[in-house]
This record gives sequence, C-alpha cells and structure tokens, in this order.
Amino acid sequence: MLKTWCKYGALYLMMVPVICYFLVYGYYPLARGLQISFQDYRLIGNRPYIGFDNYGTVWHDPNFWKSLTNTLVIGGGSLVCGFLAPLIIALSLNEVLKSWFKKTAQMILYVPHLLSWVVVGGMWIYLLSPDTGLVNLLLQRTLDIPPVHYLAESGWARVVMILVATWKDMGYNCILFLAGIVAINPSLYEAARLDGATRWQQVRYVTLPQIQSTMKVVLLLNTLGVLRIFDQVFVLRNNSTAPDVDVLMYYTYQKGILDFHVGVAAAASMLVLIFTLLLTLIVRKLTRFDEV
Amino acid sequence: MNFNSPIKTSSRLSHLAESPAPAWKKQKTRSRITLLVSLLTLGSMLLSACGTSSSNASNGSGANASSADGSASAGETSSAPAADMKLRILSSNVGGKTPEEMKKFEEEITRLTGIEVTIEKPASDYDQKVLTALGSGEKYDLIEGSDLGKLNTFIDQGVTMDLTDFVQGSKELSDPTVVPTEEWDQLKGKDGHIYAVFSKFQGGTMPIVRKDWLDKLHLQEPKTLDDYYNVLKAFTEQDPDGNGKKDTYGLSTSGLYDIQGFMSAAGLKYRYVMKDGKRTIPYASDAAIPMYEWFAKLTKEGILDPNFVTNDTAKMRNLFLTDRVGMITYWDAWVGMLNNTRQEEDPNTSFQAEAVAGAEGPDGKIILRRGDPDYWMVPANAEHVEAAEKFLEFWHSEPGIILGSLGIEGEDYTKDNGTYTLTETGKEHGMDHGVPFWYNENVKAPFDKLPGVQAAQDLVKQYATLELSLPEWSDAEKIVTNYALKAMSGSMPAADAVKQMQKELKAANLIDE
Repeated sequence: MLKTWCKYGALYLMMVPVICYFLVYGYYPLARGLQISFQDYRLIGNRPYIGFDNYGTVWHDPNFWKSLTNTLVIGGGSLVCGFLAPLIIALSLNEVLKSWFKKTAQMILYVPHLLSWVVVGGMWIYLLSPDTGLVNLLLQRTLDIPPVHYLAESGWARVVMILVATWKDMGYNCILFLAGIVAINPSLYEAARLDGATRWQQVRYVTLPQIQSTMKVVLLLNTLGVLRIFDQVFVLRNNSTAPDVDVLMYYTYQKGILDFHVGVAAAASMLVLIFTLLLTLIVRKLTRFDEV
Repeated sequence: MNFNSPIKTSSRLSHLAESPAPAWKKQKTRSRITLLVSLLTLGSMLLSACGTSSSNASNGSGANASSADGSASAGETSSAPAADMKLRILSSNVGGKTPEEMKKFEEEITRLTGIEVTIEKPASDYDQKVLTALGSGEKYDLIEGSDLGKLNTFIDQGVTMDLTDFVQGSKELSDPTVVPTEEWDQLKGKDGHIYAVFSKFQGGTMPIVRKDWLDKLHLQEPKTLDDYYNVLKAFTEQDPDGNGKKDTYGLSTSGLYDIQGFMSAAGLKYRYVMKDGKRTIPYASDAAIPMYEWFAKLTKEGILDPNFVTNDTAKMRNLFLTDRVGMITYWDAWVGMLNNTRQEEDPNTSFQAEAVAGAEGPDGKIILRRGDPDYWMVPANAEHVEAAEKFLEFWHSEPGIILGSLGIEGEDYTKDNGTYTLTETGKEHGMDHGVPFWYNENVKAPFDKLPGVQAAQDLVKQYATLELSLPEWSDAEKIVTNYALKAMSGSMPAADAVKQMQKELKAANLIDE
C-alpha cells in the first residue's frame, strides 16, 4: 500500500485540486441544500431543524405534482423529439454527397444551439405572434388557417415548448451522431454493398448498429437534463399557460427566490435530485448502457 | 510520424531519459520529475486561488472595511462626526445610471452627508441578489424593496429591523408634511410596528388614452364601460392614425392588474379583499363574469391587442408610441414620459397621451390601483444602523430629494443663483435617480412635471387605493390569472372560468368564501 502511494503519490497529489474543486463547488452546496431542507430556514436569525416538514409541504402541494407532470411531459417530449429529429437529420445528411451542402446544413442547424434562451425565446414569441408572426401569416396565406396564439393556448403551450427545445439543440446532437457515423469502418459498407444491400439496408444494418453507443450516450446525456428544464420555461411561459408549462425547477425558483421559502425550495430540489437519479438509473438499465 | 520514438520535451529531460542509470534510479528520477511538475501545478493553482481571493478581498474592501469599522460607528452617538460613518447599500433603483455615475453618486452622498457610501445596484435579478446576500450572511445597512408582500415575508423571517422608535423620534420623518402620517400604515407589520422607510412617492395605474385620437374622431372622454367600448371600437375601426389602413387596436394591456380601471365598472378590486374577516378575491367572484365577457367581446371584435397575454409592459408601451393602439393601462408617471418621448422625436407631433379615470361602478365609484411603495429596510444584521438612519433622514430632505431626482450637481444639473439647469446627461436621465416623485411637501420641484403627469397623479390621489398583499397571493394569482386570461381571450366561457377559479382556490385553501 505504502509502496503504491510512494509510486503514484505525485499523481494522487495532482488530483487534490480537482477533488477540492468538486468538494467546494459540487458536494458542499449539495450537503448544505440537504441541511437546509430539514430547517425552518430564515434569512437572518436562528434556523431550527424541523425534520421532514419541508418535504411534507412539498409532497402535499398539488402545484409540485402538477409541475412534475409538466416536467415529465415537456422533458419526455423533448427527449424523444430531441433524440429522433437529429438522428434522422444526421442519417439524411450522411446520404448527401455534396459536402458544401452538408457543411452548410450542419452550420445552420448548429447556430440556434449557440444562442441563449433569452434570444431564442424572444424570437419565437415574435414568430408565433397572432397578428404579425411569420408562422401565423404563412399558415393563413397557404392553408387558410385562422391565427392562433400558440403561446397563450393551453393546448399548444407544451407542444411549442417541445418543438422549440428540439429545434434549438438539434444541431448539437446531430453533430454527435455525424461524428459517430464518420467513425464507422467503410469496409462494412463495402461488404454490405457486395452483399447487395440497398441504401436503406445499409443504414438499417450498418449505420444504426454502429452508432448505437453514440445513441446511448446522447440519450443518457439528454435524460440527465429532463428534470432540469428551466431557462426555456422562464422565457416562454406566461400566466395563461403557467399551469401547463411550469416545471419542477420553476417551482423551486418560485418557492426559493420569489417567495423566500428557502427550506421548501431546498426540499423540492432534493426531490428533483432523487427523481433525476432514478430516471437516469432506469435509462441506464433499459439501454444497457454499461454494455457499450 | 513515428509514434515509437521518444518524445523530446526538453534537452534536460531527454538527457535524463537517455542516461545509462540503473532502473531504480531511473524510476526515482521520473517520480521526482512528476512530483516536481505536480507541485508546480498545485502551487500555481493555489497561488491563482490566493490571487483571486485577495483580489476579491480588495474589491470588497468597502464592505469589509465598513464591517470592521461598523461596530465603532454604530455605537457612537448622533453627535459623532458624520465623516466616521460608513454605509453599504443594496439598491434596485436608487443611484447612478452607469457604474461611472454610480461612483460619482456615492461621492455626492459623502459630500452632502459625510457618510462614506457603497451602493451596489445589480443590473438584473435583484430579488435573487437580495436572497443570496441575506442567506449567505452578507451585511448591508440598507436594502431597497418594492413589494409589500416581500416586506411582510422579511418581517416574518426576522430580516428587518423595527424602525418605529427611530421614525417617531425623527424630527424629519415624523413630520406629516414630510411623510403623511397615514402613509406609514403601509410599512407596518402585523404588530403595528414600522419596519421600513419610503424611498419615494409611488403612484398608481390607470387607463391612458390618445387624447389627439379622441379629438380627431370627435369622441368624449369615456366614463362608463359602454363609453369605453365605443371609444375603443372607434379607435380600431375609424382609422385614427389616418394612414388608410385598418392597423390599429383600441386597447392593449399587460398583466391582469392592468385591467383594474375597467374592472372598476363592476366594483371589483384586484388581489384579496377581506370581508367580515374572510378572504375573498373579487376577480374570482361571480360579479367578474360580465367583465370577462366584455373583454372576450373586445378580443372577438379585434379591439383588444391579441398579444395581450404575452405582452410585457415595454411591448405595450411601444404599441402606444408607434400609433398602433389607442389606449393602454399604465403608471401615472408614464403619461409624461410617453408625451416627452414623442415630443423629443418630433416637436410638432400631435401625439397627446392623457390619463383617464377608470370606468364608473354601479354606485358611481371608481377604483384605481395604487402601486406598492418603494422602501428602504435596515436588515437585522446591519452594522451601521446610525449611518443608515442618518441617510434615511437625508433622503427625505431637500438635498436628498434633489439627488434622487435630478441627480448629481455638475453631472446631471448645474445650479446658478438658485436656478437649476439640466445638462444633456441630466436630460437623458429623465430626472429619475430613484426619486421621480416624493412625499415631502416642503420641497418644491425645480422643474415642471412632464405634460400630463399632474392630472394623472390627481386621479391616483382621488381614486387609487392600495391592494391587500397576503402571503398566499402568489399561489392564488396563478389560478386567477390563468382562468381570467382564458376568459378574456375567449378560449373559455367566462362563467366556466370563474367557476373553475373558485373551485381551485377553495381546494387550495386560498379563499374563505
């Protein structure tokens, strides 16, 4: 043991700053959050421990469960669409032979990922406006569909959230898939062609199985973010659609920052953490992630 | 590239690698080098961390210094020289408009009071900053607030200092000509004690109409709900801007509280109203149904701006300023700013914004909305209470009011033989450095109010009343607003919306009847 320490001591020493970083900025806030969730947290003064009362408050709050439902619907929808749409586009782009077109398309698709949600949100609020918005104008002039205030209608609010989120991150995920596709050994396609495989069969039996590991990584990474949606909702929500789109992180924000009920907000955060852990474990199990 | 060839990082390293030494010695040398590199890496990181920390310390020296000196200052008597006093302020509105001007603002306070001041004015997320500051134990001597609901939360959580004795003992603040006695009720907690001091006079909201459009279409100022409907319809259909296109709306709003002037027609007041000790929300009562139906009619006929659900106030104002809408509901002070903006663009403009009283109720009564006041609170952990109190008295005196309104002498205005002249910078800043209007009747405004403001303020004084802020309002507001907007936009029948509101409010124990 001592010998190992002497041999690799320097390497362990190099790890110290990294460990310190995670302890200070990762685990300490987590531990403090856990502690606060058991306290009657006052901004100034004593903060007595009250057991699981904050958790009880959250558990019995119908808004929390409504927020969880919204999170799962919007997050789940974004997860599915945000996985399939870039995959389909990556497979399509891979079939394009003109490299200039491929590169241009990739760049255009990637740009929204670089923009902040404030910009993207403002843009879509404008585009979806019922009187001057491009979407309504196009639908009205081409299909004679009367204007709809998509961001104010309950039925549309969640759909808009899912579609805009998919649109924003499509380019990023698409690049990950394309990177996976590029790494496929060309001899596999050659062998498939010799066996008489069509383009579709090459995609079905060569490309898709070969990028399976990339697909698993993308799916797991996106799963981690399902319960953490916030920026998008913060920008695109309004009072008319709030009950349909307010998600768990917004619930936490409201309790903590707007209402100053820090203990309740901390308890809600801890529950979000537990749900994320469970969700990730389920996805890992279902995708057999470790068998990559 | 030959990947098997040794990597030549430096001549010394390669020399060491190639030297014919025994294996144990080579291993030891490698370990030493690795150790050296590790130590250097760690050392540089620690040094950079120390650098950051020391630089942070120096950045916050004002705060730290004030902490260090605070106990001494706080313990001194009021006759202590003001120059020894220090003050750390967290503000959302008060101060300079730019970091450079803020520095001059601080220096001006020091010049006028002798108090060494540090003002922190976050560019955004003010509530978040207040929460993190207080939660992390940061010590401010004054924190600005603008929400009475939050003030109540602060009082409940022991954040604010009881200022009753100070206010009642203060020659300036206890003077009813400086702050009217009844106004203090707004800043009292449940125990009847005063927990904050006003930072400015807060006005109210009301419908603001294009008077020039009224005149052009030969319409009278609306008084009843039917009058309002006729005016708004005419604004939509009779081409008031004269461009030959049907591109105007009668009305635009932003948020439910903005419609108070119309809900007045049914005698309905926003937020909670206590009735025989029971919590009621008039906007969720059956009496509100015809009002929501009235709005739904406006929506259906294209009179109400269809974006009213997603509008923020800036969008609403822009529609008004760009001749797209004939009426909005907004703050009294903005009547003047809207007029001023258009006049600055074009001195010959016919644009004329004018405040109108809301629609008369069944008994002829009008209800307008008085805004929550902006206030200063002294946190319970403040270290320079005496300096804070001195500043609060200064803030309500003539020099404080001139500073909070006009700004800094030499920067925003010049004074010659008692005559004030605004500089170009001062004109840009619009005579608002946190105090566009004030309570103190002894201080006369150096300049006339912008056109239309006085009439709007008269309406506020005559008709506006404060709203009742109960802690549960934020939850109730979500339910009320959601269904009210659905009813107003016509996506849900008004009767169903109100029924659903009542059901959910009762289920969540947010109303008593």
